[in-house]
Amino acid sequence: MNLQFIVDGLISGSLIGLGAIGITLTYSILRFSNFAHGDFMAWGAYGTLSVVAAIGALVGTTAPMGALSFGWPLILAAIAGMIMTACLALVLDWLLFARLRDRGQSIIVVMASFGASMALRSLLEFIFTSSPTYFSRGIQMAIPIGFGIRITPDQMVMLATTIILVTAMHLFMQRSQTGREMRAYSQNPSLARVVGIDTARVVRATWIIGAALACAAGVMVGILVQIRPLMGLDLLLPMFAAAILGGIGSVPGAVLGGLIIGLSEAAAVQLIGAEWRAAIAFAILMAVLLVRPTGLFGRAER
Amino acid sequence: MSILDVKCLIAGYEPGLSIVKGASIHADEREIVVILGPNGAGKSSFIKAIAGLVPVTGGQVLLDGHDITYGAAHLRVRQGLAFVPQTDNIFPLMTVEENLRVAGGVLQRGEVQSRIDETYTMFPDLARQRKLAAGSLSGGQRQMLAVGRALIVHPRVLMLDEPSAGLSPKFVELVFARLNEIRRAGLTIVLVEQNARAALAIGDRAYVLVEGREAHEGRAATLWDDPVVAELYLGQRRHA
Repeated sequence: MNLQFIVDGLISGSLIGLGAIGITLTYSILRFSNFAHGDFMAWGAYGTLSVVAAIGALVGTTAPMGALSFGWPLILAAIAGMIMTACLALVLDWLLFARLRDRGQSIIVVMASFGASMALRSLLEFIFTSSPTYFSRGIQMAIPIGFGIRITPDQMVMLATTIILVTAMHLFMQRSQTGREMRAYSQNPSLARVVGIDTARVVRATWIIGAALACAAGVMVGILVQIRPLMGLDLLLPMFAAAILGGIGSVPGAVLGGLIIGLSEAAAVQLIGAEWRAAIAFAILMAVLLVRPTGLFGRAER
Repeated sequence: MSILDVKCLIAGYEPGLSIVKGASIHADEREIVVILGPNGAGKSSFIKAIAGLVPVTGGQVLLDGHDITYGAAHLRVRQGLAFVPQTDNIFPLMTVEENLRVAGGVLQRGEVQSRIDETYTMFPDLARQRKLAAGSLSGGQRQMLAVGRALIVHPRVLMLDEPSAGLSPKFVELVFARLNEIRRAGLTIVLVEQNARAALAIGDRAYVLVEGREAHEGRAATLWDDPVVAELYLGQRRHA
């Protein structure tokens, strides 16, 4: 048996998990399923690509770092992209979601996010066309690491980046005052106001974190696969599955859920057949929910 | 001068459907003011409106002379008006200590820990359970945690909605004894209560709220025996 699926699954699983953090936070704090979350990934990737191009135009071509396919401009651009995506989410909230949220019916907000998703995607197709593009067209050599498994330097760096981002996020939610306020708000919004929490600040923090992580995941997909306007939409269902599997509101849960979905999809492709990919992931999701309806790390409220 | 002055407050969840219909109360410094009234009199909505949780459509709320009628709920806490809701008044999935810490967002960094230690001195039970999820506490301990958390910011006025609800008689006595101590430490307390006897025992003044308005005001010690009050509210029960 070829164990390569483990690396493939870990990679796609960590990308799914990174995106699922935003979904799980929006769901537990703003109380709606944000179907535009995948499009934040795509916008983040295209935004980063544009900044890379701008840097290239200013300073000329730069050599990639070591064995990686990209150089420092991409890192800088990704940070700029995260800020831009966060701004996009805040503007969208101000224009659309905040107004509808005040009316108190979450299904209306969900439908609005569907609309926003389509609009954002069409806008990308309009500006950048629907044909795929790449951060780098170079081909990387995969390095054998034993047991018949190969991994590219890019993949190693992306895995490490994911681990750092997720750990930082977890510590932020557990240790920082803003993280505590976000958890408090998700458990009881009106009590949060009573204890002096500025709920508008919590809402802003949620959008900024969710969108920035979506951008990071989008850039990683761009580096490892390709950039397309539909890239976020393709990952939307797996991301929701990961958030639900891990338990709504749980950051480690979303990541673990992502890894389980990614690994089981990769295993299904190798062991059963590529056509069973999505089916296996959702079979696992349903099996877990039958045993633990609140997901792996989810806890029943009150 | 009154530290809390509520004038002719009109409030309700739906526009045009007021639950609080022009109620006025005031509380002086270091006073315990009790709000009584039959079920459905709007006591709970009244105190929530003062806390900023029920939309206000008329009247005035003055805290130490400042108009806070239409201010956001979280700002009132910072201005010195703390509120302990009746139910769901803790964050069950957070630890006891996190419950206290989350309320310290407006304090200086160094201050938070000393305020938490203060709370533990006042409620030693909480200190023993600081690492436990607040959802695993007993009803009485939850109430202590909710009161302790409200006190973290050193408010000037503490408002409570039925602090004795669902507690065993032993705990009711304990909670009211603590409230009396808190008042002696310099706070003003306003509480809504069903348990009239226990509340009047520690209260200074009391109001009887009927149909969204204050119908009677009197000294807590004598209110129980006032025939007007008996007529308004206690009548059926006392003569039954």
